[in-house]
Amino acid sequence: MTSTLPAVTAAKVPAPHRAAPETPATDGARPPLRLRSSRPDLLLCGALLTAIVVVQGWNIADYPTLSDDEGTYLAQAWAVQQGRGLAHYTYWYDHPPLGWIQIALLSWIPSAVSPGSMTVGTMRITMLLVGGVSAVLVYVLGRRLSLPRWAAGLGMALFGLSPLAVVLSREIFLDNIAVLWLLLAFCLAASPSRHLWHHFGAGLAAAAGVLTKETMLVVLPALLVTMWRHSHRDTRKFALTGAVTACALIGFSYPLFALLKGELFPGTGHVSLWDGIKYQMSRPGSGFILDPGSGSYGVLHSWLYYDRVLPLGGLAAALLLLLTRRWSVTARALAGPSLTVAILAAVALRPSGYLPAMYIIGALPFLALVLAGGAASAAHAVIRRRRTENEKRYVTGGRYVLAGVLALAAGAYVVPHWYDGDRTAVTADANKPYRQASHWLGTEVTDPKDTRVLVDDALWLDLVHAGYRPGLGAIWFYKADLDPAVTRTMPHGWRDIDYVVASPTVRRDAKDLPNVKAAIQHSAPVATFGSGPDRIEIRRIQPATGGAR
Amino acid sequence: MLTSVFIAAVSLALFWMAAFTLWWQMHAWRTPEVLASTRFGRPDGGEHLSFSLLLPARHEQAVLDHTIQRLLESTHTDFEIIVIVGHDDPETTAVAERAAARDQRVRVVVDTHEKKNKPKAMNTALPHCRGDVVGVFDAEDQVHPELLAHVDHAFRTTHADVVQGGVQLINFHSSWYSLRNCLEYFFWFRSRLHLHAQKGFIPLGGNTVFVRTDVLRDADGWDPNCLAEDCDLGVRLSSVGKKVVVAYDSDMVTREETPGSLMSLLKQRTRWNQGFLQVYRKKDWCRLPGFGQRLLARYTLMTPFLQAFSGVIIPLNAAVALFLDVPVGVAFLTFLPLVTAAVTFVFEVVGLYDFGKQYGLKVRMVHYVKLIVGGPFYQVLLAGAAIRAVWREQRGRNDWELTTHVGAHLTAAEPLREDVPA
Repeated sequence: MTSTLPAVTAAKVPAPHRAAPETPATDGARPPLRLRSSRPDLLLCGALLTAIVVVQGWNIADYPTLSDDEGTYLAQAWAVQQGRGLAHYTYWYDHPPLGWIQIALLSWIPSAVSPGSMTVGTMRITMLLVGGVSAVLVYVLGRRLSLPRWAAGLGMALFGLSPLAVVLSREIFLDNIAVLWLLLAFCLAASPSRHLWHHFGAGLAAAAGVLTKETMLVVLPALLVTMWRHSHRDTRKFALTGAVTACALIGFSYPLFALLKGELFPGTGHVSLWDGIKYQMSRPGSGFILDPGSGSYGVLHSWLYYDRVLPLGGLAAALLLLLTRRWSVTARALAGPSLTVAILAAVALRPSGYLPAMYIIGALPFLALVLAGGAASAAHAVIRRRRTENEKRYVTGGRYVLAGVLALAAGAYVVPHWYDGDRTAVTADANKPYRQASHWLGTEVTDPKDTRVLVDDALWLDLVHAGYRPGLGAIWFYKADLDPAVTRTMPHGWRDIDYVVASPTVRRDAKDLPNVKAAIQHSAPVATFGSGPDRIEIRRIQPATGGAR
Repeated sequence: MLTSVFIAAVSLALFWMAAFTLWWQMHAWRTPEVLASTRFGRPDGGEHLSFSLLLPARHEQAVLDHTIQRLLESTHTDFEIIVIVGHDDPETTAVAERAAARDQRVRVVVDTHEKKNKPKAMNTALPHCRGDVVGVFDAEDQVHPELLAHVDHAFRTTHADVVQGGVQLINFHSSWYSLRNCLEYFFWFRSRLHLHAQKGFIPLGGNTVFVRTDVLRDADGWDPNCLAEDCDLGVRLSSVGKKVVVAYDSDMVTREETPGSLMSLLKQRTRWNQGFLQVYRKKDWCRLPGFGQRLLARYTLMTPFLQAFSGVIIPLNAAVALFLDVPVGVAFLTFLPLVTAAVTFVFEVVGLYDFGKQYGLKVRMVHYVKLIVGGPFYQVLLAGAAIRAVWREQRGRNDWELTTHVGAHLTAAEPLREDVPA
């Protein structure tokens, strides 16, 4: 023990630094305490970030295809900005609202400067910011989990440049924002200074992640494991209870919000948190993920279409790390991320669960980290394992040759696939039909203010900017059947509508929506953009068949 | 609208107050390194300082002899015990004289002031001190035999002017308020005091405090008119840049008992609050060099009153949010102070667990329940004491309440003098 008592009264005293008794559980060399002042780290991270931002940002508005969900979140963010409440229709506790409140904040300045820019394609730019920050956090987390510099960089590159990640992180999904919070929570949990308030902050960040997208709830045990590993025996009880308390208290703000609005429990004439949760828990399952006939199988294949390396390789690496954690230092250091991947995989394997297409977003950074960790582990095994001081030179040389060959082989497999995928992402234009439809509706319809259009949310904001009345003029097509506040204004059903914008989403879901279905049946296309199943038709309701207007 | 703005402002102010208090309360557990730094360094065996230990005793014939015996068991080789007794207190004097006759390290000094209090007693003894360092203990203290060796080591290795050791109330099982009282001490000496030492502004405790004799004489000893002379001494010494070192080791703390009744706790707290108010008004803290230090001083000396205020207003504020029709956003703000209060509660529960662990005491479920349930009532007690203190100060009543009210019939179970942290 040192011989000083540094807590002293002088004019100003630097914070005391006495070595804490080390916990035996902590192993391996610690990364430098301050990444901020490590030049090689900054250079590597900066270079990767530039590449990632270019690949993710280039052509961001035109690829991939605009989705209805993106439009919904952005429209809800727009409603928040406009002070119209938490959603463009009645907020019904489908998700906690924090996600699009953040989108509203991120897009506040651009939309204030140019209100017309509040459309899905343009506002994808906010996701570029989110993706960039997340990528940096992956690097920081990798370093904090004792990965060597190159492996942390590899993790960041895997996360930022995998075609699957590029496609998904461009879209305005709540999951992308939630992942940022979760990564921040992991980074704080693995704080090298083991500061009480860093762990507290990890709890806050985790709560923000869960309130952004509720599915992040399942990742919390893995976060707790990380925090446990990175806290010190003497201060652990305060650090961990602090983190759990912070997370719980912030998490409770959601039911508290519902309570304050009198919408915690179901009742007549109002929505409720209870009903919202009931809906989410009872969503029809999409089948077992490995059953070729199921919806989940289709979702899995839509992911594997873009990239197999990250999902499958990452999953394999996670399982390998979990199995070898008794022997491998890296495996123990990466216990948190590999556990995260394992949990998310287990949840996806539920036979009766509902598997949304964006589900994998929550796993991507952790898949990248465990894959990089697996690579680091393999590299260590090849280059250092059983190596002695007086090893023959040709054996050492052989180790490096083998490592080089392995790296080249992996690169030869991955790079061409990813090059193709990313080239598509930066060159393809998948949204021309949407832009044309938006242009047509903005110019060809003479009286937008008194025109009622059924449309999916990807175009909803375009219509609002073009002068259609938000809500009852530009109608998000689901609401024509599901929202009493909208159906009340349509006493004659489809006859009270002027146009239907039949996008793939509208055509797909119309079968369960009588009013929308009828509107499509009693209308004829006046303009069609694109061709095949991806086409967008603008259909005018035929008064000849009995229109009321 | 005006209501909303008002509620929001009050809520935010309360939130920041509670957050800062919490931040400081948790100082020692910030990082493992900070926690390690709060302990005494291990003594190297060398003993170079001599100690004069002051032991003011008043109507404490029942416990005094035991305390002296325990102090004499100290492993340090160079110290004297100066028992200070009143000229009107023959029973205690007799006990002290007997101890002095048995062991030449014990001396007796008689305080002949007409109106007696602790600072006057200690000032009376100060000229008689022969040691390099003056230490202060109370008549009912249980002092660890190795404490002096550790303090000696701390003085030499840090070149400190003042060393403050830990004081801990132990009898948490006696009553609901003693539980909270014990925990207050725990957080204060275990954690918060170290922050004060680091920031360069420290209200010292009333015992287990050691000051270099020359420094103490230069400062003219204790302020005889101050009700919190210990706090005052700390403020005066740190204001002139004297170096204070705080060390806490659970096996090296001086153990004490909480006041015997709720009323005596209230009186003790009133006196202490009033003392803080006096120290605040003396303005010695204005000489602190740093703006942040002065702010910390201002805040710390005002704490009892802020605490009282917030204890009353937090529930009121939450009730307003729930029952009055305010916007949801504003209602959310009103819950912020409640959130910090909840975090504080949780840390207190963990603190109680840690306290039990460190002192080898069995903390049962019922104690945790008492801790939580008793929290609001303790707040009421604190608020009452604060209001009482302001009232007494306003009326110019700054006598030592215990001596005047309880007088000669003070029982041994009710110690004359307790020192209370925030």
